[in-house]
Amino acid sequence: MTFLEISNISKTFGNVAAVNDVSLDIAQGEFVTFLGPSGSGKSTTLYMIAGFFEPSGGDVRLGGRSILAEPSNKRNIGMVFQRYTLFPHLSVAENVAFPLRVRRRSAAEIGRKVEEMLALVRLEGFADRMPAQLSGGQQQRVALARALAYDPPLLLMDEPLSALDKKLREEIQDEIRRIHRQTGVTILYVTHDQEEALSLSDRIALFNHGRIEQLGKGRELYEAPRTRFVADFVGHSNFLDCTITRSEGESADIVLPDGGMLSGISLHGAAVAGARAGLMIRPDRLRLSPLGQAAEPGIDAVLSDATFIGETYHFVLATGWGASVNVRMPASRVRPDEVTMGAHMQLHWEATDARLFCH
Amino acid sequence: MLLDFARLGPWRVVLIVIAVLVGAYLLLPILLIVALSFGSSQWLQFPPPGWTLRWYEELFDDPEWIASFLTSFQIAAVVTVLSVVIGLMASFGLTRGEFRGREVLRALFLTPMILPVVVLAVALYAFFLRLHLNGTFLGFVLAHLVIALPFSIIAISNALERFDRDIETAAIVCGASPLEAKIRVTLPGIRLGLISAAIFSFLASWDEVVIAIFMASPDLQTLPVRIYSTLRQDLSPVIAAVSTLLIALTAALMALAALFRKDARS
Amino acid sequence: MTVTDVPLANPSPATARRRGRGIVPVIPALAVVVLVFVIPVLALLLRSVLEPEPGLQNYAAFFGSTTYLKVLGNTFLVAGTVTLATVLLGFPVAWFLAIAPSFWSRLLFAIIILSMWTNLLARTYAWMVLLQRTGIINRTLMDLGLISEPLPLINNLAGVTIGMTYIMLPFMILPLHATIRAIDPAVFQAAALCGASRWQAFTRVMLPLAASGIAAGALMVFVMSLGYFITPALLGGTSNMMLAELIAQLVQSLLDWGLAGAAALVLLVVTLAIYLVQLRFFGFGQARS
Ligand SMILES: Nc1ncnc2c1ncn2[C@@H]1O[C@H](COP(=O)(O)OP(=O)(O)OP(=O)(O)O)[C@@H](O)[C@H]1O
Ligand SMILES: [Mg+2]
Repeated sequence: MTFLEISNISKTFGNVAAVNDVSLDIAQGEFVTFLGPSGSGKSTTLYMIAGFFEPSGGDVRLGGRSILAEPSNKRNIGMVFQRYTLFPHLSVAENVAFPLRVRRRSAAEIGRKVEEMLALVRLEGFADRMPAQLSGGQQQRVALARALAYDPPLLLMDEPLSALDKKLREEIQDEIRRIHRQTGVTILYVTHDQEEALSLSDRIALFNHGRIEQLGKGRELYEAPRTRFVADFVGHSNFLDCTITRSEGESADIVLPDGGMLSGISLHGAAVAGARAGLMIRPDRLRLSPLGQAAEPGIDAVLSDATFIGETYHFVLATGWGASVNVRMPASRVRPDEVTMGAHMQLHWEATDARLFCH
Repeated sequence: MLLDFARLGPWRVVLIVIAVLVGAYLLLPILLIVALSFGSSQWLQFPPPGWTLRWYEELFDDPEWIASFLTSFQIAAVVTVLSVVIGLMASFGLTRGEFRGREVLRALFLTPMILPVVVLAVALYAFFLRLHLNGTFLGFVLAHLVIALPFSIIAISNALERFDRDIETAAIVCGASPLEAKIRVTLPGIRLGLISAAIFSFLASWDEVVIAIFMASPDLQTLPVRIYSTLRQDLSPVIAAVSTLLIALTAALMALAALFRKDARS
Repeated sequence: MTVTDVPLANPSPATARRRGRGIVPVIPALAVVVLVFVIPVLALLLRSVLEPEPGLQNYAAFFGSTTYLKVLGNTFLVAGTVTLATVLLGFPVAWFLAIAPSFWSRLLFAIIILSMWTNLLARTYAWMVLLQRTGIINRTLMDLGLISEPLPLINNLAGVTIGMTYIMLPFMILPLHATIRAIDPAVFQAAALCGASRWQAFTRVMLPLAASGIAAGALMVFVMSLGYFITPALLGGTSNMMLAELIAQLVQSLLDWGLAGAAALVLLVVTLAIYLVQLRFFGFGQARS
């Protein structure tokens, strides 16, 4: 059932369309992440939900009721910001109590709730500390406790971990996952770190130029990208220039610059014969064989670089027409004598792993 | 080398000598006043032939000195309150407003500070003549407010600019109304700016003399005016006593400011 | 980006700008400044071309009179001397403050701040006591047998210069100190490795790096000295006036508002011109750090 309904919202600043006709339905208790490059409109969308910006068009409904007419402080939404926004003159406990105090709750309830929230974020012993005496990670946990203290139905988080180092980030990601499970709160989360998005969310909305380019589970975005942008942004991809020779529905035949022909590749977007396109294959879906030994479709290429990075090998190969292709293989499947610079190899892949994106 | 005191070589002696001389140049006149205020010589002999509290007694026995002291204090207190309140509002407008000419306005607000005060004094004297404000409490307050406002606006604007506005926004998301968020979160966040605005505004009015000389009437004189007119007649040691009290006040305010700065750092 | 850029629930910056969002809280301050500053000052300046009758005769009188030109000359002479003296004394002190052991630099700092904040009249009074004919300086020098007659140290430009140097020194030392502190000590190690002697390091590295601070401090001291009133009035003599005193006297004793307005305009133009130079080259912040 739809809980938060974002329909066709847009926001223009002057003549910049920061958000352009975005629609999204979110179920109660869901964890949805906005992922996308800088300036793609993630924060702006979030701020319209929070009420900091008034949309140029569209509607936002929470629990079936439009919230656009309400000011931020009446929306009863929780929010954690990118920068540390604890009130510097208040102790940790008073920070968490703040939303309850402005709601004129009783002292007893405030005391109980503050304790509960500090326990939730595992900062029980820190009630009397001042924000300046906390580490960045602790500050963001207090901010989380403060945002959840008044049991908001919806929690917004705008890159809350981007100021933290990697290890701390992963630690708090675990905490956020746990708190999400424990409280059942609906979360809208903004990040431009795809690993963070993949590890946290039920669904990801990938933003580009103010639009949602694709919405779906992380695995769908990775395995079935609908546009070249999605394929490029989520995970790593190789794109080989090619020309379509024949297309039929969602399948096409192509010719590569060296004259090699491949047929029956799944196609995204309409294309006519003669159109230029990009052939996308993930580096981890490519395999390498000595020349002439593979049954699958393939390309001849020369090994130009090999890097051993622990669990995997990273190869770079050059095709006959000068394009370079990245390949990642588990180190366990690479025999050392195969790694010879300048060796001619065949690159091949399963037909279902390749996709064509029209230019 | 040149920025390492230990390795400055012979230059170090030069620096030390000049620093000591300048330190003495700056400090000795102040110590001299303090000494003279307790010295028994009417003719300001130094070192004083004996010590006395006579000048302080004369000072406190003179109702005119007391009156001018109170006048100055009252004017400075009212100016301080007005300057901080108006300066706070203006600073919000200048740092957060979105209107054309904001920078021009900021420059305009600061010009009274950089223009020669004698020009303002003469101009206000003429202007207040028509409005019959010369020699009135209101006249003094208005004139000193113009002098104090730039200090207030600078101190508060700086504090507001340093204050992360997302913190105020966070308070609003938490359910506070915009006004409540400003009162409960933003004002405490910029309190050091408010305090220095108050101290500077107070001193700007308290020490102001040029405008006051033009505006003062025999019935309403600020302390600096009284010192000035006394000085034009003779160098009475009573002035040394007044000056010593003023120096004590300055030192106290400095200590207060230092205390707040230390408080802010911890 | 941050939320900070745009007020809450604001339709768009463009429309907001047109509507003057956020201008309301500025109004009280604007009213005070316009009513108690802009209008009176403009009115005074206007009188210079309107009184006693419309025309430029006040300016002709001002620039045509050797008395007034001498006042202008005195003003620039004193301001220039004070500026030079504060640079020469202030530079080594600022340097000392930047590198001396913390106890000594803090002590000197406290003295500077104390002197800066001490009531101007109190400080001027001290110099009147020190410099007078029978004052401490003259008496000490005579006791030491260095002079037989008291030196004329007060009621002339020498007294004004000594007193004003005293008052302006902190305004030179503080910005200079900030500039010198900002210099990375490593540049002198580099200079030494390049073979520069101390003197070369000083003239070729330190002075150029501190030049902006010296210039900013000098301009500020110069312009403040130009318009100074109290110290010249108390330490100077009637025969050697400065511009601010002249303006005061034209109003108080001669009631010549037209000429006073003209003199005020001359002072304002010079002051503003110097501030604009400063603004152009050093930014406003440094000017009033
Ligand atoms: N207040 C504003 N005024 C003008 N333009 C704005 C404003 N806020 C955002 N924009 C523009 O809107 C576009 C989207 O910005 P937004 O902050 O939503 O991006 P984002 O996806 O959050 O990026 P990031 O990852 O860098 O935070 C950008 O082009 C930005 O320049
Ligand atoms: Mg953002």
